[in-house]
Amino acid sequence: MNYEISEKEFTLNIDLHQRLTLLAKEGDLEVADTKQVRANLEKTLAVLADTPYLKFGLEAVPGFNGLASLMVAVEVVADISPSICLSVETSTRVFGKILTQWGTPAIKEKMLPPLLAGKLIGALALSEESMNVENAPLTAGGAVNGDTAEISGKKQYVINAPVADWFAVAGVAEGKSAVFLVKAGTPGLTVGPRKNTPGFQGAAIADITLENCAIPADQILMIPDGQNMLQTLRMWENQVLIGASLGLMKTAFDGARNHAKTHRSGGKPVIAFQEVGFKLSDMLTLFQTSQLFAFRTAWTTENVPADAESLTLCAKVFCSESAEQVAGEAMRILGGAGYETGNPVERASRCVKFLQIAGTSTEIARVKIGDAALGLRN
Amino acid sequence: MEFSFTKEQLMFKKEVIRFAKKEIVPRIQEFELKKQFDFESFKKLGDFGILGLHFPEEYGGGGADVITTVLAGEALGEAGVDGGLTLAYGAHTFLCADTIFSHGTEEQRKKYIPKLASGEWIGCMGLTEPNAGSDVASMTSTAEKKGDKYILNGSKIFITNGPIADVSVVYAKTDMEKKHAGISAFIVEKGTPGFSAGTPLIKMGVCTSQTSELYLSNCEIPAENLLGKEGDGFNMSLQTVEWDRSALLAPFVGAATFMLNRCVAYAKDREQFGRKIGQFQAIKRKIANIRIFGEAARNLVYRIAWCKDQKKPLNHLEAAVAKLFVGDWSMGPSNDAVVLHGGYGYCHEYDMERIFRDSRLAPIGGGTSDIQRMIISKLI
Ligand SMILES: Cc1cc2nc3c(=O)[nH]c(=O)nc-3n(C[C@H](O)[C@H](O)[C@H](O)COP(=O)(O)OP(=O)(O)OC[C@H]3O[C@@H](n4cnc5c(N)ncnc54)[C@H](O)[C@@H]3O)c2cc1C
Ligand SMILES: Cc1cc2nc3c(=O)[nH]c(=O)nc-3n(C[C@H](O)[C@H](O)[C@H](O)COP(=O)(O)OP(=O)(O)OC[C@H]3O[C@@H](n4cnc5c(N)ncnc54)[C@H](O)[C@@H]3O)c2cc1C
Repeated sequence: MNYEISEKEFTLNIDLHQRLTLLAKEGDLEVADTKQVRANLEKTLAVLADTPYLKFGLEAVPGFNGLASLMVAVEVVADISPSICLSVETSTRVFGKILTQWGTPAIKEKMLPPLLAGKLIGALALSEESMNVENAPLTAGGAVNGDTAEISGKKQYVINAPVADWFAVAGVAEGKSAVFLVKAGTPGLTVGPRKNTPGFQGAAIADITLENCAIPADQILMIPDGQNMLQTLRMWENQVLIGASLGLMKTAFDGARNHAKTHRSGGKPVIAFQEVGFKLSDMLTLFQTSQLFAFRTAWTTENVPADAESLTLCAKVFCSESAEQVAGEAMRILGGAGYETGNPVERASRCVKFLQIAGTSTEIARVKIGDAALGLRN
Repeated sequence: MEFSFTKEQLMFKKEVIRFAKKEIVPRIQEFELKKQFDFESFKKLGDFGILGLHFPEEYGGGGADVITTVLAGEALGEAGVDGGLTLAYGAHTFLCADTIFSHGTEEQRKKYIPKLASGEWIGCMGLTEPNAGSDVASMTSTAEKKGDKYILNGSKIFITNGPIADVSVVYAKTDMEKKHAGISAFIVEKGTPGFSAGTPLIKMGVCTSQTSELYLSNCEIPAENLLGKEGDGFNMSLQTVEWDRSALLAPFVGAATFMLNRCVAYAKDREQFGRKIGQFQAIKRKIANIRIFGEAARNLVYRIAWCKDQKKPLNHLEAAVAKLFVGDWSMGPSNDAVVLHGGYGYCHEYDMERIFRDSRLAPIGGGTSDIQRMIISKLI
C-alpha cells in the first residue's frame, strides 16, 4: 500500500502544468473553430509526446504506475483545458487501448508509433440511437468479402469526429463484436455538422454515417470470445470521464477558494463566513474523496481486473456527481463573477454537466452497480 | 500509489469476521434491546486480541500495524457488530489505553496496558464537559497540585464506558489562566474517593455502549498519575485524532458492507407485484448508493492509517475530510438500507434501523461535522 504521489508523478505534474499553461496562453484551447481544434490538438499532442503522458495505460513506463499515474496527471490536463483532455484521452486512451487490446501485430506496428508520438488522432464511434442498460445489439456493421469489408451504420456524438485521422467504429461482423478501423476520408464515411455544446467547446463532436464504406479486411479487429466489447469500451470511456471530473473539480475548487480568500464583504474575506468557508470544506471533501476513489479505481483496473468494471462504475457516478456539485457551489461562491462567461469556474460548471450523461450515464450506472451486487451481471 | 493489502492483513480480516459472526453477533439483539453493555463480548474481543491489537507484545498486545488494526475494526462492522460495542472498544483502546501507552511512563504502561489489552480492565476518556464540547479549551474542570497529590474538581459528560470503566483518562486544567496550554491529562482509577459516574444516558443509538457523566469532587490522585507534563493534555487529545479518524471510523465502513450484503439478500428474497424487489430500478439504486458510499469512504480511512504506519505527521486536513465524509455522507445510504427493507427495516429484528441510529453518532462524536468544516476552511 502506498497513498502518496511519487516524486516522479509529482515532477511530471509540474512539467505538464508548465508546458500546457504556456500553450493555453498562446491561444484559447476552449473555444475554437474546427480547424483551430485540429491545430490545438496537434500542438498539445506534440508537447505531451515529449513526456511519458501519452504512454500511460498503453505501454509500461518505468518508474510510473500505469493508469494510477495517468489519473494523477490527467487532473492537471483537464484543469488547464477540459476540451484538450477529452479529445486527447479519447484519442490516446480509448482509441489507443482498442489498438493495444484488440489490434493485430500489423495494426499495432502501423498505428501505435504515430499515436504515441502524438501524430495520429483517433475517435471512437460507439453510441447508436440509444444505449440501454442491456446494450441492445449494435446495428453498425457489415459483411466481409474476401479482403475487403463494406460497413454501414450511424453513430452519434463522436468526440474528435471532425478532426480525426482514424475512427474505431464499434459494430458487428459475421455476427460477432468487432471494431472497424476506418480512415478519415474513406468514401462512404460522412461526418455530420459539428455539435453545438454548452461545454467542451474546444473539442469537436459530430455524428457520423457510414454507407457501404469499404475498408480492407485487416482493419477489422475481431473481439475474442468471452470479452464484452461494449462493456469494455464504456469502461474506458468512463475512466476518461473520471479523470475529467477531477480536473474540473480542481478548476472549480481552486477558483472558488482563491475568490473566497481575496474577495471581501463586510470588511472580511468571504471565506471568513461559515456559509462560504463551510461550503468550501464540503467541496474539498468531495474533491479529495473523488481523487482517492479515482486513483484506487485506476490501480484496480490494472491489478484486480475482476473488480474493474463495477468499481469503475461506482467511481464514475461518484466523481461525476461530485464534480457537478462542486462546480455548482463554486459558481455561487464567485457570486456575479461566477456567472460571467469566460471565467474558468463558469466554464467548468458547463462542462461538468456532460460527465453524468456521457459514458455510462449515472442512471444506467446505478442500475448496473445494483445488478452486479445482486449477482445479475458481473 | 498502490492500494494492495498484504495476504496476512486480508487473512486476519477474514478471521475477525468469522470470529465476530460466531461469538458476538448472536448476542447483539438481546443487549441492544436491554440497552446494556455486553461484558462477555467485550472480554471475547480482548481474548481474541482485538482490544490490544496494535500494542507491542511485551505489553500484552498483538504488535499489529495500523492498517491491520483498521481492518479489524472494519471487519467488526462488516460482520454486523453493533456500533455500541465498536464504540466501547474504540474509546477503551484508542482514547484511553493508547493515550496511556503513548504518553505514560514505563511504570504506567506496565501497570495499565496489559490489563486493558486483555479486557480485564475497561478504560474510558473524559474530555467533554457539559459546557465545553466543541470548544474544548473552555473546560472548567481543574487539577490543583498539593504536595504529591492532585486534587481534581469538575464534571465530564457523554463519556463512553463512563459507568463501567476501571481506568479513566481525564482532562482537567492545571492552569486556568491558559486556554489549550492549561490542559493536562490524568489517570483516575475506579473507586478513587471523590470520583464517580452518573447513570447511563438514554441515547438514540450505540445503545449497548454505556455513556455517562463523570463527577470529580475533591478527587485526590497521586501526582504520578499525571500523564506526560502539565499543559500537554490538549496535544495528547489531538494525537488520538489519528485513531479517531481511522480505527474509530473503520466500523462505519464495515457497516456499509454489512448493509450492502443484507440489502442484497433481502432484495433477492422479497417479492412484490409478482417480482423480486431486486428487479426494480429503485431498489438497485439504493443498493448502488450503499456500495458507492462504502467504496468512497474506505480510501479516506485507509489513507489516515497508512500515513500513521509510515510515521508521517498527522495531516489535519485529510483527517477532517475523512471524518466529515463518513459522518455526513453516511446518512443517505443508511437511510436507503432501512427503506429498502420496507416495514421490516423499521423493526429491530432486521438490524437496519440500528445501523441507521448508530451511524448518526458519526457527525457528532469526536468533533462534530461543523467542527471538521471549521478545521478544513482554516487550513485551505
Ligand atoms: C457531448 C457528447 C459527447 C459524446 N461522445 C461520445 C463518443 O465519443 N463516442 C460515443 O460512442 N458516444 C459518445 N456520446 C454518447 C453518450 O455516451 C450517450 O449520449 C449516452 O450513452 C446516452 O445515450 P442517449 O443520449 O441516447 O440517451 P438515452 O439512452 O436515450 O437516455 C435518456 C435518459 O434515460 C435514461 N435511461 C435510458 N435507459 C434507461 C434504463 N434502462 N434504465 C434507467 N434509465 C435509463 C438515461 O440515463 C437518460 O437519463 C457523447 C455524448 C455527448 C452528449
Ligand atoms: C454517544 C456519545 C459518546 C461520546 N463519547 C465521548 C467520550 O468517550 N469522551 C468524550 O470526551 N466525549 C465524548 N462524547 C462527546 C462528543 O465528543 C461531543 O458531544 C462533541 O464533541 C460535541 O460537543 P457538544 O455535544 O458539547 O456540542 P456543542 O459543542 O455544544 O455543539 C452544538 C452544535 O453547535 C455546533 N457548533 C459548535 N461550535 C461551532 C462553531 N464554531 N461553528 C459552527 N458550529 C458550531 C456543533 O457542530 C453542534 O452542531 C460523546 C458523545 C456522544 C453523543
